[in-house]
Amino acid sequence: MLIVQNLTKIFKDTTAVDNITFSISPGKIFGLLGPNGAGKTTTIRTVLNIIKPTSGFIRFDDKPINKDFFNLIGYLPEERGLYKKSKVINTIIYFAGLKNLDKKVAFDESIKWLKKLEIEKFKDKKIEELSKGNQQKVQFITAIIHNPKLLILDEPFSGFDPINQQLIKEILISFVNSGKIIMLSTHQMDTAEKLCSDILLMNKGKDVCSGSLSKIKKKFGTNNIKIEFSGDISFLNSHPSIIHIDSYSNYAEIQLRDDVYPADFLRSVVNRVNVTHFSVIEPTLNKIFIDAIKQNIN
Amino acid sequence: MKKALIVAKWEFYEKVFTKTFLISLILTPTIIITFAILPTLLSNQEDNSIKTIGVVDTSGTYFNPMRNSIEKYKLNNGQPNYLLINLAGTQKNLSEIKKKSDEEALSGKLEGYLLILNGGTDSVKIEYRSKNAGNFKDLNKLEESFNLARIETKLSKEGTNPSIMKYISNKIEVKPIKIEKSGEGSKSDFLILFFTSFVFIILLMMMILSSGGMLIRSLVEEKSNRLIEILVSSCTPNELLAGKVLGLSSLGLAQVLIWTIMGIVLAGTSLVPMYVFNNILPIFGYFALGFIFYTSIFVGIGSIVSTEQEAQQITSYLSLIIMLPIVVAIPAIQNPDSLMVHIFSYIPFTIPAIMILRLNIGPIPLWEIFSSTVIMIGSIHLSISISGKIFKIGILSYGKRPSLKELINWLKEK
Repeated sequence: MLIVQNLTKIFKDTTAVDNITFSISPGKIFGLLGPNGAGKTTTIRTVLNIIKPTSGFIRFDDKPINKDFFNLIGYLPEERGLYKKSKVINTIIYFAGLKNLDKKVAFDESIKWLKKLEIEKFKDKKIEELSKGNQQKVQFITAIIHNPKLLILDEPFSGFDPINQQLIKEILISFVNSGKIIMLSTHQMDTAEKLCSDILLMNKGKDVCSGSLSKIKKKFGTNNIKIEFSGDISFLNSHPSIIHIDSYSNYAEIQLRDDVYPADFLRSVVNRVNVTHFSVIEPTLNKIFIDAIKQNIN
Repeated sequence: MKKALIVAKWEFYEKVFTKTFLISLILTPTIIITFAILPTLLSNQEDNSIKTIGVVDTSGTYFNPMRNSIEKYKLNNGQPNYLLINLAGTQKNLSEIKKKSDEEALSGKLEGYLLILNGGTDSVKIEYRSKNAGNFKDLNKLEESFNLARIETKLSKEGTNPSIMKYISNKIEVKPIKIEKSGEGSKSDFLILFFTSFVFIILLMMMILSSGGMLIRSLVEEKSNRLIEILVSSCTPNELLAGKVLGLSSLGLAQVLIWTIMGIVLAGTSLVPMYVFNNILPIFGYFALGFIFYTSIFVGIGSIVSTEQEAQQITSYLSLIIMLPIVVAIPAIQNPDSLMVHIFSYIPFTIPAIMILRLNIGPIPLWEIFSSTVIMIGSIHLSISISGKIFKIGILSYGKRPSLKELINWLKEK
């Protein structure tokens, strides 16, 4: 269990993190979301014990974080890059060694993971000889080789093709099932929506909204529908039941007034346009993100 | 400390097998030997053809005796080095002779000519006029021959006994001997001292600069791709710093060790004379201390820059400090007991180079070796703790380089 309580970090005259509180239980993926400059990286750095918080505390498994904590965490920073001139296998073993992993074990584990990520044949190549995607795989391995209890991943999917994204997702899910704690920072809302059970949305260092994703969805749940059609729907732009409409060439996402029943709305349009699909939708995390940040700014 | 060793091993092994390292291993001694030997070779090069020198002496006093006295300079093949021609034979106007002779010197018919004024009196003056007036070897020989001729002319005029004349003209040279143990001595030579000392100092400077540059570049790289964050989430900044200093220092010392072995193999040959190894152990010690001291400074400075350009700028400032001992090397050899040399023996930045220099010049009192070593160890301790504080914050700061005020604040932080 990772507990972060009333975390505040002030740099000279800017408050990068302002009284943030959250906790992550084993077997959960926690999404740390927010626009650029929201304070996510600073939050991550304080959890990593790289920088000291101005106030507040962080506890892991009921103990304050200290030197022993180093070997329990794995970290994948957003900016990627390894020692270009070094060999793949040496690099992995070096980072494993820094996490106190025995050399022999480190070697066996490296081979296991290189096989799993389908890059074993590159083990004696220099990093710079690998493609960007394969370099990212090597870096992913360096973050997880020591079987960390807490895994902090910053944009883990960027730079991967869809097949490899799927591969990484599967590995992450297997980690969660084995009881690891994963903290995920990303701008890919659809990925966060699929993987995270809890989120913290930050803006300008502050907690904008946090908690379990399903509760947040309910809270932000408005009267939303999706309609697919053929024909002209421009008449909807001035429809009295509609608060907001995002219309595309053959479908539209519509937010209805709270007192309007979706079924009544459907009845009012079927006569004027050919409806091929109709559904009531939950707000996407993407929409929650944008709305929450906008509200926060206002 | 275990993690510091892991970092040190990594820094060592990843760099020891690189091309850059292997090239510098071979290239550095080659360059230094070239630098050390080339000037000596060039200045010792003998003339291989007879030089024609004109003499304008309207008094007609010196031409013949000088022709005799200059005969002792011979070329390797036994022929005379100089051929003297009397240009004042056909009594013309002096300014005309001068004009004609200048033309001949410029056209290359003459190597140059001696213009003797007020000949035969006590206020005699002489000029050597030549296209190449900077040739100090010619100048020395001509001067000596002329003076000999002048003295002989005067003495024979006074009717002096020829044996006394010979006695007077016989010059005795002072031979410098370096005392190592009482009663024993070896021939010492300014040039030899200069070059052996210089070889070690330049070696030290070049290694500090090249490995310091390497260190800063690798830090900039680690900062720009955030590897540094992975590293400090795996070990403390102090462990990382200690590992880097240790790894790079071992790398530098390994390099010196290989050079020493190369030197021992070549010892006694003309390339590497034996006396280079006279003080190898203390030299090695100062080398190590200097190297660790500067490396720990480089780590601190390297952590505050975030681009390659900034790194180069800072390295060039540092090179100036590092080059300082070379500037004082020549006066130090000429006067090893001067106040300046003693002052520099107490400043950590210059101790290694000055001490290496002094070890070559002559024995150093034991207490001075002791005091300089203590100063160096203390300074290394201090520079590591200052660098450590800067490093801790510097490696996580990106963008603008911190101001001096900010740096001082970093030092105050716990």
